Amino acid sequence: MAKKLKAIVRLQLRGGKATPAPPVGPALAGHGINIMAFCKEYNARTSNRAGELIPAEITVYTDGSFTFILKSPPASELLKKAAGIEKGSSAPNRDKVGKVTRAQIREIAEIKMKDLNAIDIEGAMKQIEGTARNMGIVVVD
Amino acid sequence: MSNAPHWLEVSITVDPELGEAVSEVLSRFVSGGVVVESAVRYNDAEDEGTPYGPVKVYGYLPIDEHIEETRQKVTEALWHLGQIQPLPEPSFRTIQDEDWMAAWKQHYRPIPVGERLLILPAWIAPDRGETRIPVKIDPSMAFGTGTHPTTQLCMAFLEETVIPGQPVIDVGCGSGILSIGALKLGASHALAVDIDQAAVISTRENAEANGVLDRMEIGQGSVSEILAGNFSLKQAPLVLANILAPVIIRLFDTGLADLVSPGGTLVLSGILDTQAPDVLLAAAQKNLKFVEQRQINDWVALRLIKPA
Repeated sequence: MAKKLKAIVRLQLRGGKATPAPPVGPALAGHGINIMAFCKEYNARTSNRAGELIPAEITVYTDGSFTFILKSPPASELLKKAAGIEKGSSAPNRDKVGKVTRAQIREIAEIKMKDLNAIDIEGAMKQIEGTARNMGIVVVD
Repeated sequence: MSNAPHWLEVSITVDPELGEAVSEVLSRFVSGGVVVESAVRYNDAEDEGTPYGPVKVYGYLPIDEHIEETRQKVTEALWHLGQIQPLPEPSFRTIQDEDWMAAWKQHYRPIPVGERLLILPAWIAPDRGETRIPVKIDPSMAFGTGTHPTTQLCMAFLEETVIPGQPVIDVGCGSGILSIGALKLGASHALAVDIDQAAVISTRENAEANGVLDRMEIGQGSVSEILAGNFSLKQAPLVLANILAPVIIRLFDTGLADLVSPGGTLVLSGILDTQAPDVLLAAAQKNLKFVEQRQINDWVALRLIKPA
């Protein structure tokens, strides 16, 4: 079968907790995706990591079929953990809410490397630093 | 279910690099997680699709007595982020709460194919008096749901080429739709192979749903595995391959033409009209004779025979 992609949908979900309610329902129904099949499969694959934020990247084909893979947690989630904060700054341009070291940035970049559109680790680190800045997290040496 | 809107959808289109920061902001307010959607483009004929252009980030806020306040906070949080890197305004729209489990099914209707077949998902019963032969395929974790031109072209050729009582070989079976169609049209049995394990599982499920599993042999593999004798058949008077042109051309090198019995037919699909000459050239080199070409949009299917 000549599979052609229609779109890529990334859903941030908690392991073992996907339900047809938003965001899953409205995000997938428009693409004609079998929502129950997705929830069942996602929950089965993430049952051993229940409650953890595990994004699923769903590739939707032009004929309504789909496949998905599990991704590493979002960089923002890893940055919050590294900085020991609950959430990012609500005014990142003004209020800084935490700090991470360059070594921590490198660690996160290594975890995220395969998901990022970066050529090398330095490029990946730049992207992670950018995310940190946008969250009001200061990067220190 | 009430008709009142229950959710406020917030969406914002940004560069992929900003997707994560916007997601982080939205995730503080939304119910469940955020959704990031990317469009795709095709770089070449073999490209299944590569993410391209800006991404659209969505979040869903439950509509309650605090909704105006929440909406204000979301707008403010995005404004602050916009002070670091420019952001477009977010869009808001209310959406009805609906039965999401059923909503996706509204996209599907029975699809008449050729003169005699009707492809339909399992939850739709054929109309009373429907004379077409039903092929039940649920859109699911595999491919070949019958809505794609390449499948429809192949199914139409099947009606004319299946010899009742004779076997077929289906290379790259996907959902198994072609093998199932062939069996419903009277083929004695079908050998369906795919290199993708997910396709093998899906084919088995669909064969069972259509009551033809007992006449099917399903396995992981391709042309070389069949020729190596891994399955009960090495040749058939009808061979089907609905894959992609570059893959078909490569399969000719591994012996695709050897699967066709002398005097038998090879049906090829998954070919863009611009790629057809290359496929025909590869076929001619294996001594196959061109019979007919059919086209829907820019997809073509080819019917070839092997001289007796």
